[in-house]
Amino acid sequence: MTDDPLLTSLLAAVAAAPDDVPLRLHVAELLTTAHRPADALAHCSHVLALEPGNPAALTLLRRITGALTSGAPAAARTEPPTGPLPTPGFDWAKAEQQVADIRFTEPAPSDDAGSPPTEDFRAPERPTVRLSDVGGMDEVKQRLELAFLGPVRNPDMARQFGATARGGLLLYGPPGCGKTFIARAVAGELGAKFVEIGIADVLDMWVGRSERNLAEIFRTARRNAPCVLFLDEVDALGQKRSHLTHSGSLRNTVNQLLSEMDSATGANDGVFVLGATNHPWDLDSALRRPGRFDRMLLVLPPDPQARASILRHHLRERPVAELDVVKVVKATEHYSGADIAHVCDTAAERALAASMRSGTVQALTTRDLLAAAREVTPSTGPWFAAARNVALFGNTDGSYDDLAAYLKRHRNL
Amino acid sequence: MSAPRPGTDGLADARARIAHLRQVRRLDDAERAARDALSSWPGDAGLLCELAAVLLARERYTEALPAADAAVAAAPGDERGHRLRGLLLSMLDRHAEALSAAWTSVSIAPQEPVAGIAYARVLQRAGRLRDAAQAAGRVVTLAPSSADAHFLLADVAGDLGDVTTARRAYEETLRLDPEHAAARHDLAVLDARARRPGRALRGLIDAGRLAPAMTQVRSTVVAVLWQLSGRMRLWLVVATIAVLATAESALAARIVGGVVLLLTAGLGWWSLRGLPRGSWPVLVATLRTDRPLTLVYAVLAVCLLVLVAVVATGLGVLAILVWFALIALGLLTLVVGLARRRRQRTSER
Repeated sequence: MTDDPLLTSLLAAVAAAPDDVPLRLHVAELLTTAHRPADALAHCSHVLALEPGNPAALTLLRRITGALTSGAPAAARTEPPTGPLPTPGFDWAKAEQQVADIRFTEPAPSDDAGSPPTEDFRAPERPTVRLSDVGGMDEVKQRLELAFLGPVRNPDMARQFGATARGGLLLYGPPGCGKTFIARAVAGELGAKFVEIGIADVLDMWVGRSERNLAEIFRTARRNAPCVLFLDEVDALGQKRSHLTHSGSLRNTVNQLLSEMDSATGANDGVFVLGATNHPWDLDSALRRPGRFDRMLLVLPPDPQARASILRHHLRERPVAELDVVKVVKATEHYSGADIAHVCDTAAERALAASMRSGTVQALTTRDLLAAAREVTPSTGPWFAAARNVALFGNTDGSYDDLAAYLKRHRNL
Repeated sequence: MSAPRPGTDGLADARARIAHLRQVRRLDDAERAARDALSSWPGDAGLLCELAAVLLARERYTEALPAADAAVAAAPGDERGHRLRGLLLSMLDRHAEALSAAWTSVSIAPQEPVAGIAYARVLQRAGRLRDAAQAAGRVVTLAPSSADAHFLLADVAGDLGDVTTARRAYEETLRLDPEHAAARHDLAVLDARARRPGRALRGLIDAGRLAPAMTQVRSTVVAVLWQLSGRMRLWLVVATIAVLATAESALAARIVGGVVLLLTAGLGWWSLRGLPRGSWPVLVATLRTDRPLTLVYAVLAVCLLVLVAVVATGLGVLAILVWFALIALGLLTLVVGLARRRRQRTSER
């Protein structure tokens, strides 16, 4: 029994309504404050048995186990111990029995409890770029706002319209077209931290280590919520399992990714998972199910406005005599951002060579850039060859309607 | 039991990492990792094999061969180096050396299916199809539940002209691995060769759905549509003769024209029955990717409209227009065929 009248009345209320979760949590909180962690543990365990993933209960459990392991003062116990003297420390066997039926939906909190927080897998950064820093690409921005940012910013309103802020967003398109930059800008828009992960961060030869690496990455993201977790080249991590018949380890990594995606995108978790891939058609179909990467956004080669911005950016510190941006922009259709950078570099090399020959600085001209554009083949070509096939044969569920529309617009389909 | 931490065996870690990267088709990263690792363990046969395998996957055979040579020199008793060397030499059309290397690989590990597969491939590329078929048969005996083994047998048997064995082996491949897009595609090619365009198109659409990025599916669909158009032209030649033969009587021309149209519809349905749902938009879109073929089908549609006009007016002589159209189409097909064959020859060179 207890001397505290508030606790006494609350315990009576708990006895009358044993499944009242908020009440039990409140009692457990008071018991912890009153240095009665063992009693608090019983209530907390009951709550977790009713609601295994209850975040408040999990947080409280960490505090309780911390208090128990640091050794609660014996004087704080309301009832003097009777019978044989207890062994010093905490009765782990009893505690384990009490929590035996709890199914944790998150990695065991005891990982962190009572010890300094685990070091983050990779220190998250806080990007300062915003979508307004992305030149052109208005269509992508608009779709991003509608499909992802809007529901995330207004979850209640989205819910009323049947939309949801849950699930991840998959950015796909030809290489070098700014998927990573857009992901950073999304983090900037949300004021969230940003963790970028590639296949090399996950792969490990030891059985089970790749899965553990992946789990640790997601744990880092949760610890740093709100956080945008960006999985670059996600097709390598989440490849179709039917293609991985010879590698059980890689199959397990895909399974782990599926499981982490399910837990990371839980409501109010604050972890926004963004993936980028050049080959969404190689992704395991399970990764595209609701709650995982259920939204796709096509990131195409830069539009004329974006190409003009990229051109100006790459020429800003180079001597330029006269520049007909419109002409160069026209000559670089279907070029990725990386290709345009290459065009500028090639033109600069030519101008430098001419300068060295003449002994005076020969500024870059439109002619140099046009000649360089003729020399540099757009790297997006092979991607569009595959994409055309995908739009023809792989668009049964309409996932690639955007792509098909783009190809039709450009007479590729 | 927890696995040992990486770093306790850096070499094994590096090899496994490269193999994983190769398997997930991150070939740039795999090559970089292989070269980095080789700077620390320059003479390691396993790493040299990994580098050769990565370069083989990147189709950079000339660069890969020295790596495979070095792997063989470092570990002459290791089957993998010889196998990679054999495959690379074969890709470089040095068939005699390739056969010798692949044979060494099989001799070192006679029970290893991958060595057998490589040997059969080298034989196949060297044009020794009967020996390749025999080697493929042995691989199937070694690994009866391997889809790759049955696929190899089917491929070699197909080249050999043994359609029955090829078909059976493709079907077995698909039984073992229903998502084997290449087997689905190649079985469809057999169907097309057996003049079953409907079945072929069905198989090709399935293959396209299984592996949407497999670019040869579209070109095979186009080839089957050309084949279908050829059949249609042939049929129209016969049908037009019948209509012209009855041109003197309006009623007879109408009846024959109507029968021709009905038979055309029936034949079309017969040829394309069993296509999966949603196939038509795919076929129409594929048709539009090949301009001469689009033109051919447009002209064929006009020919059918002319026959409709015969039925409507009773003017059998109108069918002569179909003849002209068919002659023009014949010329177009000839020109396109020649141009494409020439282009193919140039690209092969």
